[in-house]
Amino acid sequence: MSAASSADPAPSPGLLHGLGEGLLEMAQTAGGMTLLLFKVLSRLLRLQFDRQELMRNLYKMGVKSIPIVIVTSLFTGGIMVIQAAPIVKRYAAQGLLGWAAGFGTLREIGPLLTALMLSGRVGANNTAELGTMVVTEQIDALRALAIDPIGFLITPRVIAFVTTLFLATLYADALALFGAAYAGYGLLDVEPRVFYNGLTSGLLTLSDVGVGLVKSVVFGIVMSLASCHYGLSVQGGAPGVGRAVNATVVASAAGIFVLDYFVSFSL
Amino acid sequence: MISFRNVKKSFGPKSVLKGVSFDVQDGEVFFIIGASGVGKSVLIKHLIGLLYPDDGEIYLDGEEVSRFDEARMYPVRKKCAMVFQHSTLFDSMSCIENVMLPLKKHKGMTDKEARADALQRLTQVHMREFADRFPSELGDGMRKRVAIARALTLDPSYVLFDEPTTSLDPVSARRVDHLIRELSDTVGVTSIVVSHDLVSIFSIADRIVMLYQGQVKLLGTKADFRSTPDPIIQQFINGRAEGPMET
Repeated sequence: MSAASSADPAPSPGLLHGLGEGLLEMAQTAGGMTLLLFKVLSRLLRLQFDRQELMRNLYKMGVKSIPIVIVTSLFTGGIMVIQAAPIVKRYAAQGLLGWAAGFGTLREIGPLLTALMLSGRVGANNTAELGTMVVTEQIDALRALAIDPIGFLITPRVIAFVTTLFLATLYADALALFGAAYAGYGLLDVEPRVFYNGLTSGLLTLSDVGVGLVKSVVFGIVMSLASCHYGLSVQGGAPGVGRAVNATVVASAAGIFVLDYFVSFSL
Repeated sequence: MISFRNVKKSFGPKSVLKGVSFDVQDGEVFFIIGASGVGKSVLIKHLIGLLYPDDGEIYLDGEEVSRFDEARMYPVRKKCAMVFQHSTLFDSMSCIENVMLPLKKHKGMTDKEARADALQRLTQVHMREFADRFPSELGDGMRKRVAIARALTLDPSYVLFDEPTTSLDPVSARRVDHLIRELSDTVGVTSIVVSHDLVSIFSIADRIVMLYQGQVKLLGTKADFRSTPDPIIQQFINGRAEGPMET
């Protein structure tokens, strides 16, 4: 009897088991990211971070992202006008086109799309680079040289990521509005001057720009921490690096939308 | 002097070190040998806090360092450099930038001063002409020599070499051996070398410890190892496939 039962295959984990495992994993990630945030803040407040690494990362993350931000922002502005075109035509609301495009772009589309773009380009790259450094013992080599990896590698990346996303959102907003203005002119015969008047008629305020920029900073902090956390937690060689990159992209995208909801709700 | 006292370490259910004790004297070239997976690299990583023992103590110049936190470990790491098995040069930096990094970080040198010092150190390991190359453009032996130059930048009293001649051609391997011996003879650096390379072991070692099944099998000189009748040690040092040794 006992021999027969010992030969039985182990029961497969149930739904609750899977759910619990998933929740534990989420708690572990959130805890890891929070600890990393405190470590980064402690280096930041004591100015214990590497300036050259900061400049290198600003160039790599910021300057090299300019072409993709330009292209996507210009077309995003155009797409907003295409979507608004039927309503604008039906109600002859050409004068409101500038306000509508500005409201949507500055508060929502600008920060959201820029964050999603940088999540794929910068966040994934960051995780892959750090993960490879873990797998090839380069992080241990830094520690063996008595160099703090948080101050040398992580803090500059977090600062560069947040700065890049903030500035990229700022010029993505401007470019999207530029794209929207000229798409409006091409598709709806709305003069750029009329579009500009709609933007500055008083319906839009600086706080609309501010909301978008606050979002970009919040997204930047979470995305940089997620990409660094997953990079530093890599286990299991090259497949582990692949899994970490995947986890970063998924967590960043999910995090961006959840945080967007809460920031939109509270501001 | 470095002392390991009853050091124990497990990874999950696998017990790797089961109470290892020995001393390393100042200025000697000390080899740690043993089969793959016996815990040689694990043991030396404990000395600089890359791993922490489950039990036991490690003393460096009379100070117990095995419970130091990361911040207290930094002075230990400056005194005790490590050359990793796979060199672990930073991919995003050229060879000279790799060597300049600790000079700028710890010696407060300017870019110009660090570059001049790093060039001198690369010359010592015959890598000056490759100074501006990136690690990915170099062979294993070249990377290893740059890693040695980088490890020596802080003028350490102790250097830990993790399989320094593995994957090197015989000529490069003997050059690395020569460098390790020279460090001990001319500068008085104490070298702890983890190795399987029998030629290295029997040409430059002052003393050798063999780990087997998580414990010290024999500690002695080259002559002690050659003369011991222990069949396991004889199988290992003669590189025989057949014998009582369990791997």
